[in-house]
Amino acid sequence: MQKLEVIITGFGGQGIVLAGRILGQAASLGDHKESTLIQSYGPESRGGACSAQVIISDGTINYPYVRQPDILAAMSQAGFDKFVNDVRPEGFILIDQDMVKVKGLERDYFAVPSTRMAEELGRKMMANIIMIGFITAVTQSTSLEATRQTVSASVPKGTEEMNIKAFNKGYDYGLSLLKARDKKASGQAGALA
Amino acid sequence: MGNDQANKNLKIVLFLCTWGPHAAFQQLQDKDCRIPAQVKMVRIPCSGRVSKALLFKPFEMGADGVVLVGCGSGVCRYGVGSITAEKNVADTRKILDLLGLSRKRLRLGAFSPEEPQALLDFLNGFIEEVGAIGKSPVIRPVKPEKHNDHSLAIKEIIQKHDVYSCQECGKCSSACSLTLAGKQYSPRAIANAIIGGKVDDPQVQKDVWACLTCGICYERCPSAVNFPEFIRDVRAVIKSAQGNGNEAHGGFFGSLSRTMTSPEIKGNHWNWLPEDIKTDSSSKVLFFGGCAPYFDIFFKNHLAPSTLDSVSDSLRLMNFFDIHPRVLDDERCCGHDLLWTGDRENFLKLAKLNVDAINQSGAEEVIISCPEGYRTFVKDYPQAGLDMQFKVTHIHEFLEREISKGSVGFKSLDRKITFQDSCRLSRHMEMAEPARKLLARLSPLSFTEMTDSGAGAICCGNCAWSGCDSFSKALQVKRLRQARETQGDLLVTSCPKCQVHLRCAMKDPFFGKDLEIEMMDLTSVMAKTICWE
Repeated sequence: MQKLEVIITGFGGQGIVLAGRILGQAASLGDHKESTLIQSYGPESRGGACSAQVIISDGTINYPYVRQPDILAAMSQAGFDKFVNDVRPEGFILIDQDMVKVKGLERDYFAVPSTRMAEELGRKMMANIIMIGFITAVTQSTSLEATRQTVSASVPKGTEEMNIKAFNKGYDYGLSLLKARDKKASGQAGALA
Repeated sequence: MGNDQANKNLKIVLFLCTWGPHAAFQQLQDKDCRIPAQVKMVRIPCSGRVSKALLFKPFEMGADGVVLVGCGSGVCRYGVGSITAEKNVADTRKILDLLGLSRKRLRLGAFSPEEPQALLDFLNGFIEEVGAIGKSPVIRPVKPEKHNDHSLAIKEIIQKHDVYSCQECGKCSSACSLTLAGKQYSPRAIANAIIGGKVDDPQVQKDVWACLTCGICYERCPSAVNFPEFIRDVRAVIKSAQGNGNEAHGGFFGSLSRTMTSPEIKGNHWNWLPEDIKTDSSSKVLFFGGCAPYFDIFFKNHLAPSTLDSVSDSLRLMNFFDIHPRVLDDERCCGHDLLWTGDRENFLKLAKLNVDAINQSGAEEVIISCPEGYRTFVKDYPQAGLDMQFKVTHIHEFLEREISKGSVGFKSLDRKITFQDSCRLSRHMEMAEPARKLLARLSPLSFTEMTDSGAGAICCGNCAWSGCDSFSKALQVKRLRQARETQGDLLVTSCPKCQVHLRCAMKDPFFGKDLEIEMMDLTSVMAKTICWE
């Protein structure tokens, strides 16, 4: 049985819980798997630490809390510091590179400037959607089509197009990053032979 | 001998030097030898005076083969004639190959007066060889009809572009590149002379042909009179009436474009493609390369430009992003130069052939690096009513789209750069920004704009291979001085023709090294420095 444990973490107000909900819904309603969502935020929910715990599984999920995340997506330093040591050795660590400093992390991680990209698109609040696109591309935790449709169905009416644009931006960034790693590994980093 | 009948229909043009070989030819005539009837002899003063344009002209007119016969190397009465002839023939043969006409249709010979029999054998041998390739697929273009009265057409053009709304403010003349280069020239005066019915006035016509169509007047015009397009349409009318072209370079490029209007020509447009470039004949993306391969061959001996780099580096950049585009072997000239020198009929033929070929290929997106080609595809083809089942993207837009996806960086470039805008992109298409976004991504030592830049940039001095004169040169000199003033050491360009024209001015012996600055297309600069991060 394939089981994925995901933690998305950040400040309250970044849309962390929504991101978790989109991921879980895409897995269950779109990809026809099982999923659960636990949201937790401290007393300082507006601006304080916040995290969403999602489990995606092919079979029944008996316990909805994340014990050892396969995927950590961190959009704040506090969240990153809290969970980074729990991530499985073969798991993915994803960060917003402008919000999180990895400081001496001795393992591989994937960085995206999601907040900056969202600002460039005109709305800082779409950083979470960019992060979802990035998670989808890098980890393939949910399928592209299901996730994109769930994004479209979960955001306020009238903002679908904009959010899909943000999602695509994150997704393209993720693909580009993977491609860059492949290319560098195969020794073709430039355009000239 | 079954080919004899077919060979009889061949049309062979013989350019014959009047000094050595003509004497041999005369002996053949005197001895009543059977000079093949297919050969039409043109007596010329020296083989070196037959330019590439003249060597090519018979092919445009439907000749099956051309022979240039001069004197042997070292025997030339004028010294360098034979050597020049060798170079011209070699280059023109390469051009014939690119066009798909086969280099074998053009041959150079050298005979002294004592060799009549050898000359005859040479001619017979050539006919055999051309016979083996067959008739030329080129259909002789029809001469344009003569319209005696074009006042109605002119009136329609004036209305179409609403030239009446000219307020005679004179902003066009104060901005016009030619006027600023010192020419007695005023777009406003031309417009009003034509409105006043003086289109047949020799001075007005001269001025109509002199316009660079760079579009800075339109950029400044408060009434938004599209003067370049107005001039373009007026040219189409006066050209069909008088067949005047005002072409530079002996009209070579006009001939070349018109030759490509024959549907049966199957070109070899990509026979030079370097091996490291990957293309894929089933790709949904098509790269339209444009005429740069011809430029590099044509100007090889005198300017040695490398405009082809912009094409191959565009392809390399596409490959970098894992796009292996399809290319069309029988890609033709986009027709830009014919359209802007008044030959609308042949422009339409080329446009139709290109659009049909691309539609048939099933490509969904066409990427173009040449600014003129881009303008023509995006503006002029749809205006001509062609149904294009594909979208057109400029290479700068493509690059911005791909690079903005992320993980791409640029190695530092140890140069101080400045940028030459192309009139077609910066003004006609209002696309000065994409190139600047790309420039901002580079990491050169410095990037300094010239005094006039973006939509207000100074033109490279010529358009559509026509109307080159001392004022063009003055403009180019002025532009290069601006480039030098930036203290830069690399002039980044976006149009192959800017490179050809500016290089021409740099080669001026009177200026020595004063104007020299290295030039490189933006795509080449990017291909050199781009890397995955």
